[in-house]
Amino acid sequence: MTDSNATIPKSPPPGLFFAGSDDEDEVDDENIPLNVETRSPSIPTAPQTPSTSRSSPFNEPLFLDDDDDDDKNMNIYEEEDNVVPQKRQIFDNDSDIEIIEDPGLSRKKQKKIDPEEVTSSSKEKKDISSAKECSISFVSDTPTSQVIDAFMPTYIGELVVPNAWSTVSGRGYVKINDSIHVKREQQNYASSDKAEASTSSSSKKKTDGKRQITLSNMLKPQPVKFNNSKKKKSDTIVRLVNNKGFEFGRLATDTSWWIAKLLENNIVEIRGVMTDCPEKLTTGASLIVTLHMYLIASAFKPLKRTFGNDDPVHLGFNEGLETEEETILRERKQAVVKMFEVLGLRPQAGANVQTNEMSHEENLQKLAKRPVRKVKEIVGDDEEIEVDDSEELTKNEIDAIYSRAQHNDRTMAEMEPSDSFSLTLRGYQKQALRWMHSLETGTMDAREASSMHPLWNQYAFPGEPIMDGETIDLTAEEKPFYFNPYSGELRLDFPRAERNCQGGILAAFRTVNQRKQQTSQPASATLVVAPTSLLTQWSEELQRSCKPGRMQVIVWHGQNRQDLEDLLECDEDDRGNVIKVVVTSYGVLASEHAKMDRSSKVKSPIFEICWLRIILDEAHACKSRTSKTAKAVYALNAKRRWAVTGTPIVNKLEDLFSLLKFLDFKPWSEFSFFRSFITIPFLSRDPKAIEVVQVILESILLRREKNMRDQDGKMIVELPPKEVIVEELEFSPLERKIYDSIYLSAKKDFERLDAKGLVSKNYTHILAMLMRLRRAVLHPSLVLGKEDEEHSTFPQDGGKKVTINELIEKFADGEQAGDGNSSAFVEHFVTNLSGNDLAECPICFNEMEIPMVIPRCMHQFCKDCIVSYIGICEEKRQVANCPTCSEGPIKSTDLVEIVKKGKNQGMSSSQSSDTPVMLRKNDFQTSTKLDALVRNLRQLREQDPCFRAVVFSQFTSFLDLIQVALERERFDQYRFDGTMDVKKKSAAVNEFKSFSRKPKVLVVSLKAGGVGLNLTNANYVFMMDCWWNSATENQAIDRVHRIGQNKTVYVKHFIVSKTIENRILQIQKRKTAIVNEAFRGSGKADPESIQNLKIMFGDS
Amino acid sequence: MALPKMKLHPQLRSCDQLTIGCSKETERLVADPAPGISALPHDDNLRYFDVIIEGPGGSPFQNGKFKLELFLPEEYPMAPPKVRFLTKIYHPNIDKLGRICLDILKDKWSPALQIRTVLLSVQALLSAPNPDDPLATDVAKHYKENEADAQRVSQEWTQKYAV
Repeated sequence: MTDSNATIPKSPPPGLFFAGSDDEDEVDDENIPLNVETRSPSIPTAPQTPSTSRSSPFNEPLFLDDDDDDDKNMNIYEEEDNVVPQKRQIFDNDSDIEIIEDPGLSRKKQKKIDPEEVTSSSKEKKDISSAKECSISFVSDTPTSQVIDAFMPTYIGELVVPNAWSTVSGRGYVKINDSIHVKREQQNYASSDKAEASTSSSSKKKTDGKRQITLSNMLKPQPVKFNNSKKKKSDTIVRLVNNKGFEFGRLATDTSWWIAKLLENNIVEIRGVMTDCPEKLTTGASLIVTLHMYLIASAFKPLKRTFGNDDPVHLGFNEGLETEEETILRERKQAVVKMFEVLGLRPQAGANVQTNEMSHEENLQKLAKRPVRKVKEIVGDDEEIEVDDSEELTKNEIDAIYSRAQHNDRTMAEMEPSDSFSLTLRGYQKQALRWMHSLETGTMDAREASSMHPLWNQYAFPGEPIMDGETIDLTAEEKPFYFNPYSGELRLDFPRAERNCQGGILAAFRTVNQRKQQTSQPASATLVVAPTSLLTQWSEELQRSCKPGRMQVIVWHGQNRQDLEDLLECDEDDRGNVIKVVVTSYGVLASEHAKMDRSSKVKSPIFEICWLRIILDEAHACKSRTSKTAKAVYALNAKRRWAVTGTPIVNKLEDLFSLLKFLDFKPWSEFSFFRSFITIPFLSRDPKAIEVVQVILESILLRREKNMRDQDGKMIVELPPKEVIVEELEFSPLERKIYDSIYLSAKKDFERLDAKGLVSKNYTHILAMLMRLRRAVLHPSLVLGKEDEEHSTFPQDGGKKVTINELIEKFADGEQAGDGNSSAFVEHFVTNLSGNDLAECPICFNEMEIPMVIPRCMHQFCKDCIVSYIGICEEKRQVANCPTCSEGPIKSTDLVEIVKKGKNQGMSSSQSSDTPVMLRKNDFQTSTKLDALVRNLRQLREQDPCFRAVVFSQFTSFLDLIQVALERERFDQYRFDGTMDVKKKSAAVNEFKSFSRKPKVLVVSLKAGGVGLNLTNANYVFMMDCWWNSATENQAIDRVHRIGQNKTVYVKHFIVSKTIENRILQIQKRKTAIVNEAFRGSGKADPESIQNLKIMFGDS
Repeated sequence: MALPKMKLHPQLRSCDQLTIGCSKETERLVADPAPGISALPHDDNLRYFDVIIEGPGGSPFQNGKFKLELFLPEEYPMAPPKVRFLTKIYHPNIDKLGRICLDILKDKWSPALQIRTVLLSVQALLSAPNPDDPLATDVAKHYKENEADAQRVSQEWTQKYAV
């Protein structure tokens, strides 16, 4: 490495690029000479060993990459060219041209240089823009093409076509046992026009002699060209031509459709024999011909896949459409499948061999035929298909998909992180590091996937019958060949299951894994794209993971986005071993991309820079391939790409597509390809689809779940236990009344609609009612708006409603009459109370935790007692008087709370006021749930004076109320919801995490904080409401219960009994997956969700 | 999952806590009884008290020991305890069945009141019968028309039943 380095004259500070630990370059350097040696001798003899093909994928990229590093590599080889002359040739994409022809072998070597191929491969070279290292293996499998060119046409079977027909009239065109040509294209001979027109051609020429046909003219430049093939697509004429070159007949369409494609695609050579024909031909006379099929070299040519157009500008324009080349490929595949069927060729090994053969046949046919119809449907009506339920994956299916990718993970090798990494890794993390490292460098497949690619079938060449004295040089007859019934590809070499992009998907339970990745690869910039809420966390974690000074993290977000190029360049002089990481958000990316889209002049540096590595965090953020975010992500340039997500497949297989597209994992990164070979087979319940996905994932996915075990059977992550308690609460009479009235009217509504069969039409209305009920459970003021006074009727007790509304109104008003006295109270009570902390409530005889005073008579009670006493009196329509002195009447709003400071906490520092006692009006309406929360938090404070708790609710309006309640309880509390900007969010989290002896509570909106956040400093979780599916709740809990947590996590769900919440739980148990969909508010109602609604309003 | 009614009785001083052990109130009542009054909860039902009130001095009920029963309803202390004389007594505000006419046991109840205060009030009622708000109308009439004779009868009953 260092030696070659020294010889390089060009490129600025070379040393920087070749820091000793840059494994990738080292690897490449070592491998290249090795490959040369193994390949060079292989050219003439054309052996097929997996090893030759295996080493290929990571060599090509060097020459396609314009990056500095690789330029240098290129130079090295050029200098060494004289030493190893073949090296250039081998590594050149255009090597087809230079293939050594062995005259002894190529008696019939018709293979000419295909101009199209040359142009396209050079185009390929150009197109694969500087950064793309991935994905070329199909196109330029150099050693393979050597073998292919040495391949002799090989007999694979024969068929009798009984219904060919004559296009001419007359004698002498052909006679029985004549060999005939089978041609696709029209002849240039003079007679062909006539023949074409099927008019009387009187020239009667008999051919004699049994000559073997040479097929050279058949193999002239062929219809890979799209325009060309487009025209040809319209017909499927297959012409029969006699030895003199006259077309005398055609195949009937039932055979010609596939034979035409085979010919067009240069898959077979057909040697025909006239089996039976009338002596005198007449137009339309039926002919019986026997066709001997020979696979020819060009059949094994790697397929050209120019799709996945590497020019980012064109991305996304024709997604979903079947491109012309796609059509060609599909037709080619159909033709080959059909041919195998007709010839009776069965696979020896490979996909589906073990299953019974009939079904395999059917499968192949089904697969081959389906796209014709289906794809069209999709093109016409993409949206319809998108919402098709059958595309949804069940949990089991998703698990099945992952299982394969994980099956041998336990025994994977480990790898130590580089010395710049400051944290200790767990075993499974070292495994992951090894895996990622091997994927990036391509040294070896950590999973050792050396089995046959599951998409492929192995076929044997059948023995060829000796044809009329002509012996054929069967050089490769013992060799099997391989066919991929999905892509229609044919290969001679062993199709090892392979991976061909640098990067992968980490379906880990997040972050920790990939941090070390950067540390092992210094000296290049890495881009991290993460949801806005996680930017700060990323930057912190990165800093934390790395020894000081070894990493520079730039958060590129917000208004002051600096010039990235400057940032990245200026530092190259400093130290070569500083790892530079740019952290940005999807939002920024999308807007930068949009800017670029609007005017071509604007160049956003983020898309200009060729990153060493891109990491997408929560990569499912770009799961919709048509979204702006996804398009922006596709437009990034990078050598190595990683997608980190907990859910690579959220609920559709196509979710995966977007990731593959980003990873540039060809050919699956082409939408129509993905669609044709994965989505559509899946829709038709073809298990093969799942298998294909499994194969893809096996090579690029590393999935880690909390409950996975390592090779010793230990949990890979030893998380502390989690205790979940559901606390069932009872409404206060008042809340019960409010709730019931809302519930009854909703129920009545529902029953009315149900009776009329209008439920599905009014689905959204019902969902809205449900939403209201769910709010009512939390707090009455969340539902008692102005509209309620009109809509909801309070049976038998109108006055109560007024009371509540009045209360709420008064609370909102805040200040009230009588406030003038408050200073006097303070005076009075400060003296009275400060020494007397242990005052006893005259009602409950307990110490007053929250003493309240009746201003009128100054009598004190604990809050709970006096408030409920007043409530009971109101309930009985009695006037409430002071329980001690009967002064009255009193209202709960009159009460004044005495807030003692520093009673339980040692909170002397923060409070500025010196008064130990403070008065506060009872201007806050609490609720059962709030009470429960506050009660729990108070208890917690007793046990653990500096606890950390996280409170989740899905309603931000309820979060407001929670905050007020916490404020009143004098808890240090912070809030995190989706409406806050990044700064505020990260400030909230930081403050929550910062050290303090006081208890802290973080109030989090379930939707905003349910993903990504790391809140392991807390170990108490309170779920204020229940979400339709428990998965979302669990994900929220996992913010706390995750790696880094070292205490037992206590989770408390608050449920109010005999409310909609019980029923939600009921439904949750019933069928999680469907509820999930049904209540997401999509506006559509299926029978299942209506059934669920009936549970909601049932009387159970 | 049955849970205590949080809202109604946030700090139950003598009901549900009684099932766990002696409530604060009962504890105090037993430990520090009011003069002339004893109240002991039943072993098997801590809401149920056996009460003995001594007739106040200077009243026709002097030297009498009157048995009462006292029961704390579930709503206590938000609702008043139920109290009844078991010993026969000749008193205008206490009927043949031992029921007591006392405002704090009805609409004037306050949760700040206690068993002790209730029993003290009953004791006070013995000293100061109120024939204007009668429960036993014949006794009240007797007291109104001829208080001395009525007091004599009260005394006789006390001697007869309450000693």
